[in-house]
Amino acid sequence: MREAEGRAEMKYGIEIKGLRKEFGSKVAVKALDLRIPEGSLYALLGVNGAGKTTTIRMLTGLTKPTGGQAYVMGHSISSELDEVKKLVNISPQETSVAPNLTVRENLEFIAGIYGFDKAKTVEKVREMLAQFSMEEVEHQKAKTLSGGWQRKLNIAMALITEPKVLFLDEPTLGIDVLARRELWRKIEALKGKITIVLTTHYMEEAESLADEIAIMAKGELMAVGSPKELMRRTESDCLEDAFVKIVEGVSYEE
Amino acid sequence: MKSKVFAVRTWKEIMRDPLSYIFCLGFPLVMLVIMSVIDKSIPAEAGMQVFRIRNLAPGISYFGLTFVMLFTGIQVSKDRTTALLLRLYASPMKPVEYIFGYTMPVVVLAVMQMVICFSVSFVIGLCTGNSLAVTEMLLSMLALLPSVFLFVGFGILFGTLVNEKAAPGLCSILISAAGMIGGIWMDVDGLGGAIKTVARALPFYHGVSLARLPFGETAEGAVEHLLWTIVCGAAVYGLAVTVFRSKMKKDIR
Repeated sequence: MREAEGRAEMKYGIEIKGLRKEFGSKVAVKALDLRIPEGSLYALLGVNGAGKTTTIRMLTGLTKPTGGQAYVMGHSISSELDEVKKLVNISPQETSVAPNLTVRENLEFIAGIYGFDKAKTVEKVREMLAQFSMEEVEHQKAKTLSGGWQRKLNIAMALITEPKVLFLDEPTLGIDVLARRELWRKIEALKGKITIVLTTHYMEEAESLADEIAIMAKGELMAVGSPKELMRRTESDCLEDAFVKIVEGVSYEE
Repeated sequence: MKSKVFAVRTWKEIMRDPLSYIFCLGFPLVMLVIMSVIDKSIPAEAGMQVFRIRNLAPGISYFGLTFVMLFTGIQVSKDRTTALLLRLYASPMKPVEYIFGYTMPVVVLAVMQMVICFSVSFVIGLCTGNSLAVTEMLLSMLALLPSVFLFVGFGILFGTLVNEKAAPGLCSILISAAGMIGGIWMDVDGLGGAIKTVARALPFYHGVSLARLPFGETAEGAVEHLLWTIVCGAAVYGLAVTVFRSKMKKDIR
């Protein structure tokens, strides 16, 4: 805890030092070092198998690191995981809702799991329904919702617990462009209020939303910077070109 | 508190599936009525006792529990295949709260099922001149409680180990075994031989026999049936809890 108190002053939502994960002989994440300022929206980019989801899983207690250390809001993910779990929430890549429960019941369920009393649950559910414009589907069973609505519910279920750090693992995967843009607006509205870590394969999503971007490849951190910095350094016109150059190892200005 | 919230969610998930009503309630009740009609058609000189309402009521109530196992298995495996458990693993919930959250709703469902089965049996008994006493039915329900944990244990076990498609298959093996060698549909004592030896080595025969004891004239074998039922119920449920916890640890290794 002393360690945690010391780190609380640093104003990092997440601080990662030499974090490593091995699955047998396969190294999924190689000695990752990263600092994510409190309140920022940070995008983790990489091709499939780059180690993004494994990193998120380690930071949320879903996978134990093989080595290294990470602190979430000053708390160690190794020795203070129970505390970390109270401060974070995740919107997983796959839609993770209770299918036979209504939208409202899903939100109430998660609020209850995080120990909210009745009054606070009512207040937070109302807030989430309004924030995500879900009033019109609040009594609809989750399994009957369209992909876009399910994605919104997925994020609202993570946000209702008032996390200090929110992990969004490919939040707009598989939804149409209008629903995606709407979700972007919802995510954008959270900027500055909480620390958000976003993984995505959509470059325009990262470019539009992220304050800073970390690019990973084969479990290693290849580059960190704002979208504009990454484009400038790689002399690219768009983030996608910058991403490709970085991942393919084309030499560029550090 | 968290386990109660999770239990309410599990209850809603199961009760909002129409198949729960068809299998957990409809099917045992249909079997109860059909077997009662068959019993009326069997000549008295055949000496066939197994379909008499005093044997059938506890037998069908036991049979109904096998469907509780089926729905427990489906629910646990479904939760595992959707990403809902992943979200919950990232929450402050403890393993014991998951177990309680899965167990409590299905125990309530099993008790409700027993009450309905015995109530219908009571009416059939009145119609056929074989009335069942309330104390007999209450004692029989009490005797069925260890078997509730046996089948809930099997449900959690199968749901943890296999996927949503394989869990019903595994459960159906036990549903058939419980019905046949448990002595619900045939007189195992009358058959003897290898069948009886196998039946006595499994918990189903003892569970059914224990549930039938309050309706019988003697308490023969009561201690053996009671011990087998309690030990097997506790062992299977304990194994299910251990396997669930170990699988959960493995999932987040």
